[in-house]
Amino acid sequence: MNIQNDDTLLQVDGLRTVFDTRAGTVCAVDGVDVAVRRGECLGVVGESGSGKSVTFGSVMGLVRRPGRIDAGRILFDGRDLRALTPRQMRAIRGRDIAMTMQDALTALNPALTVGEQLAEVLEAHDEDLPTGRTARRRAIRDRSVEMLGLVGIPSPGTRLGQYPHEFSGGMRQRIMIAIALASKPKLLIADEPTTALDVTIQAQVLELISDIRAELGMSVVLITHDLGVVAEHCDRVMVMYAGQVVEQGPTADVICQPKHPYTKGLLGSIPRLSLRGERIHPIEGQVPELIDLPAQCRFYSRCRERGADCLKLIDMQDAGPARQARCIRVTPEAAQ
Amino acid sequence: MSLARFIERLLQLVPVLLGVSVIVFAMITLTPGDPVEIMIGDQVVTPEQEAAMRHDLGLDKPVHERFFVFLGNAVQGDFGDSFYHRRPVIDVIAERLPATIELSLAALLIALVTAIPLGVLAAIKKNSILDRLATVGSLLGVSLPGFWFGILLLMLFAVHMQILPVSGRIGYSSEIEPITHFLLIDTLLRGRPDAFLDALSHIILPAITLGLPMTAILMRVTRTSMLEVMRQDYVTFAEAKGLARHRILFRHALKNALIPTVSVAAIETGSLLGGNMIVETVFGWPGLGRLVVESIFVRNYPLVQAAVLFYAVTYVLLNFVADILYTVLNPRVKL
Amino acid sequence: MAAVDTDTPREAAAAQESIFRRNLQSFAGNRLALGSAIVVFLFILMAIFAPLVAPHDPAETDLFRRLQPPAWMPGGEWSYLLGCDALGRDILSRIIYGARISIFIGTAVVMVATTIGIIAGLAAGYMRGWVDTVISRVVDILLGFPYLIFAIGLMAMMGPGLINIILALVYKEWVIPCRVVRGETLATRELEYVEAARALGASGRHIMLREILPNILSPVIVVSTIRMAHVIILEASLSFLGLGVQPPTASWGAMVADGRAFILQAWWVSTFPGIAILLLVLAINVASQGLRDAFDPRFHE
Repeated sequence: MNIQNDDTLLQVDGLRTVFDTRAGTVCAVDGVDVAVRRGECLGVVGESGSGKSVTFGSVMGLVRRPGRIDAGRILFDGRDLRALTPRQMRAIRGRDIAMTMQDALTALNPALTVGEQLAEVLEAHDEDLPTGRTARRRAIRDRSVEMLGLVGIPSPGTRLGQYPHEFSGGMRQRIMIAIALASKPKLLIADEPTTALDVTIQAQVLELISDIRAELGMSVVLITHDLGVVAEHCDRVMVMYAGQVVEQGPTADVICQPKHPYTKGLLGSIPRLSLRGERIHPIEGQVPELIDLPAQCRFYSRCRERGADCLKLIDMQDAGPARQARCIRVTPEAAQ
Repeated sequence: MSLARFIERLLQLVPVLLGVSVIVFAMITLTPGDPVEIMIGDQVVTPEQEAAMRHDLGLDKPVHERFFVFLGNAVQGDFGDSFYHRRPVIDVIAERLPATIELSLAALLIALVTAIPLGVLAAIKKNSILDRLATVGSLLGVSLPGFWFGILLLMLFAVHMQILPVSGRIGYSSEIEPITHFLLIDTLLRGRPDAFLDALSHIILPAITLGLPMTAILMRVTRTSMLEVMRQDYVTFAEAKGLARHRILFRHALKNALIPTVSVAAIETGSLLGGNMIVETVFGWPGLGRLVVESIFVRNYPLVQAAVLFYAVTYVLLNFVADILYTVLNPRVKL
Repeated sequence: MAAVDTDTPREAAAAQESIFRRNLQSFAGNRLALGSAIVVFLFILMAIFAPLVAPHDPAETDLFRRLQPPAWMPGGEWSYLLGCDALGRDILSRIIYGARISIFIGTAVVMVATTIGIIAGLAAGYMRGWVDTVISRVVDILLGFPYLIFAIGLMAMMGPGLINIILALVYKEWVIPCRVVRGETLATRELEYVEAARALGASGRHIMLREILPNILSPVIVVSTIRMAHVIILEASLSFLGLGVQPPTASWGAMVADGRAFILQAWWVSTFPGIAILLLVLAINVASQGLRDAFDPRFHE
């Protein structure tokens, strides 16, 4: 997608991120394009190893040795992120773009209180804080209490002084969200926000994100492997496989009429009550190793619709209005 | 940690301390050589006088009674008189103790100040030249025999370059009235910077020699721990928050990484107690360690017994401190 | 720990064997570790064939050669390569013979301590109950003594001498393999093949020796090699203090002590024996580090 206008908050073109290992160069993200508009919620779906987390880790500049960004352009709010100095990038991280991680227990420092971890973010980005020491401290504390209250933590004042392990899983996730949202970012990247939680808590956390998004006009990238979550909360969805984007488009369209065989397979392997008695069709085979990939469709070995003409590099094909899929069997159709 | 738990833990020490005392007592009782005979030496005594001496020392009582007497006396600090010095053992030990403590603390300080920054740097710049050198250094540190290294240092700095003294704790010209009995502090308190430098020059080589193995071990532990911590999710999350590098390092990483370091340091401090004997002998340091070694050769058993008991009790207490420190530092470990 | 999740003891043993072989190959691939192992081996050879290798009789005194410098310095002779000590004895020969003491004591102490430790650890870990309590208490108490203190205390009691040193060092040393074995046994006894053996009516002794022991040997061997270096330094330290083997037997630690009086005029008397200790201990440490890396299951992931 190369539509660039004022409406686009994040634009990634041709991102390529590799890891230099002893066994060879692993290409975790290979030629990925992403576009996120202001206020929209983009779902990113894929199994482990599809490159979904690394893509957005690269956007945030969090890729460390032995990984590196090999190619690509990352434009955020009009600024080229790759051209920024580390210090400039740090100013953006946590303030304009924020991230939450999958397991809140490991993402929060066990040796610091929740209040301290919240205060850090506020101090680092100095959002209109008063200058006097006591006034500043009080302002930070007030803001922290406010944030905890916003994400639904009861009696936030007392809980500021507690350690992460003293909270339940769902609350920890909320705390992480509170930290991420403390500086009112323009973009929130939520990496598997619900995977480590049980179903009832999942719903609450997602509701929370939706509400805040509506309130702040924030864009959200929801990285998950759960299509159900995407169906309910995301405007658009992007499906990734083996380091590439294989399909993307408006959520409703993609889910009702998937174009790429992988997406079809994903949707087909979800057990559904309406299909009681029918067999589930899992996708056979395994994700290929990301080293020395052959120049052909990466889904080839597991694809039911494969043919001899698939043994070449395949680009994204136009599959309808605002839709694309990386498959040569795709035909553009009017959205239903 | 609640007071109740703390006391509970403290009480668990009692059987260990008791066992330690039993062993020390057994050591002495089973030592060949009759203490009375040693005390008599070349003098001529009548059998009645000998029996009287034996009775005075309580040596005519049965073994288990002697143990309780020993224990009772030990708790009060009464270990009898030193054969050699003809003074209460406890006094002799108290005289020499500060020197040993000062040396041990100096070694500990050197180890901490050197090992921790080195370990952290080695972890940050993993596989760099610094890292490899540090690894080699730490390997050497545990492989060098302390007594030999000390002699080598003496040969280099005292004999060859003549910039440091050969032995002792302080030169004659710098003798001062003691206050705390820690020379490094007392010389400053008495306003004698020249004496301070003199004391410093005497302590530096033995402290380095004593602290070397500990430095090597602590450096490794810090490095490993730091590497482990830096891989953690919370470090990535801290980066995602946009925090400055040094802040992440000190506040997030170091705080967690140092927990194992502190634990190991507390435990290894105990091994400094053993190393003391070697280093004090090599450098002629007037401490408890050298006293023990000398006492063994002159068969001054009351002193050896008291010193061994003292060392053992200190060691047990140090391990206890290490345990407590670990639980205090690590909020996740509930006691 | 290389415990394998399989059903029968034979499968477990076979799996263990192939893991063992792979670990061994990994070790051989580590050139530094392999080189160090070779150095250790050379020292052992030197010790065994001392009479053939040493140019002179280590006890032969020659007062005309008192404090003779090493060969490359003025006054030295090539037949007395590293110079002579205060009694005119050839330092090189004494170093070669000294290897016997260090290696013998190191090996003896570690072997005896490991054997005792294995027996005690297996008993404590498998039988639990009062056996475990008693053994663990004893371990705790012995651990309450700093190493050297205990050894010195014992030596003071028993007097110097070869057997006495070995005993003194063993007394404290066995707790270390004991702890390792106990921990491993506690973990292994819950595995299925042990249950299976029990169901078949195997006696406790059989289970301990034939089922559990072969599977926990790897970490025990690694720990033992690491301890060997430690014991050698301890023996040298004791000898340095005069509590080790007595003259005229050559011991590296005692040689360093002998040379102390002469550091002003004859630095070689103390220096060379110390280098020997350093080389041997360094080689053992590097080799055992390599061993540990090769046998560490995490390394192979």
